[in-house]
Amino acid sequence: MPVQHAGLSVVVIDPSHGGTDPGARGTGGIRESEIVLSFAMELRRALEQQGFQAVQTRQGNEDPSFDDRSATANAQRGAVFVTLHISSTGLPGTVRVYVNSDLAPVADSHGFIPWDRAQAPFLGLSRTFGDFVQGFLAQRFKGSPETAQTASVRQLRTTAAPAIAVEISSVTVEDRADLDRMAPGVADAIARGAAAFRPSYVVPSAAGAQP
Amino acid sequence: MTPRWKFLFAGGLVFILLVALIFVPVLRRRMKRAAKLQEQSAEQARRELTQPIAINPGDPRIKSKLFWASDTIDSTLAPVTVDLPLSNDPVLRSKQVLNTLLAGPVDAELRTLPPDALLLAFYLLPDGTAIADFSEALANSIPSGIASEQMAVNSIARTLEANVPQVQRLKILIHGQEVETLAGHLDLTGTFVVNTKPVQAPVQLAPAASGADKPSVAVQDKTAAPAPGLRR
Repeated sequence: MPVQHAGLSVVVIDPSHGGTDPGARGTGGIRESEIVLSFAMELRRALEQQGFQAVQTRQGNEDPSFDDRSATANAQRGAVFVTLHISSTGLPGTVRVYVNSDLAPVADSHGFIPWDRAQAPFLGLSRTFGDFVQGFLAQRFKGSPETAQTASVRQLRTTAAPAIAVEISSVTVEDRADLDRMAPGVADAIARGAAAFRPSYVVPSAAGAQP
Repeated sequence: MTPRWKFLFAGGLVFILLVALIFVPVLRRRMKRAAKLQEQSAEQARRELTQPIAINPGDPRIKSKLFWASDTIDSTLAPVTVDLPLSNDPVLRSKQVLNTLLAGPVDAELRTLPPDALLLAFYLLPDGTAIADFSEALANSIPSGIASEQMAVNSIARTLEANVPQVQRLKILIHGQEVETLAGHLDLTGTFVVNTKPVQAPVQLAPAASGADKPSVAVQDKTAAPAPGLRR
């Protein structure tokens, strides 16, 4: 029987898109892939201030596959996963947190989690983590929802850890500075959400194990 | 070169020039005609594919619920009741409601699907799984993002849920192919749960459907498949 201990220590930050995939593009030349990278840097600083170790799925303009991004998180012990996005719709200045939609439960007596449903055993924890983060974001960014939403986000499905997607509205702003100004607030809310979630997460002894 | 050969060479050149002057415009006309014919064939094929589903005037007009974006709450859907003559056949009925959904609401700002997207084919398997095949425009023209992609799929799923009780699950294809995501975010590798209620047969043509005002329902239902596992 695995030994369990509380010990959320790592936050895997996933700046979405990159490389030849710019993601959402605004009329003013704003590219999602660039903005999320600068948000990731800000988030790294905020997390380190809260005592977390931050790991990024990409440092520059690369485009790792969905599976490679999940693999970065799945290789960690005691990690949570945060994928960062900028939308092309929605009320500018608001932020939404998503957790994966329901997945068929994993029932494998051999102790393996199927890769394509790796998120299934973590959905409850992801919901708790997402609600913490969304709560802090709602306090700071008026018009944002109070609780996390559900969506079938591809990036979350193969991640064997509490995992959320954070989507900031939007690339339609006229000036990139409007988005840049949101970065410290978004980073602080995520870091505070992770700190609030820390006591709820009892980390199994093996990496990628079921909670 | 002897003068005789020079004369023959010049004569040959003049002959080639004359032939070219006569035939090049003819050739150009023929190429233009061929290109036009090809254009017409592509257009014809497209029209055949997207031919509006024949509406039988004998079909009763049903108060159908179609889901487009809400004009009051950001990033949510709202049902709009539309009077439509709908077939009793679930496949025809699905095509009719989805084509109306694609045509869009009166206020174009409330669209959930790109205006140039087309429903290419629709199948319903005996187990209640619907397969909706859309043109590439659904993936290429939709605004990229989790919220917009989820809204698009939810509007399709909830419109089917409200009007075609036989549809239990929904699989979305793009131009006949399974794709990983709609436009970089929303997972299309699985099926979406549409209806969980048991189907009453035959379908009653009562004003369509109930329970459509509940929150978003497009939940992904992935069946178990052999895949690499993570050790416990």
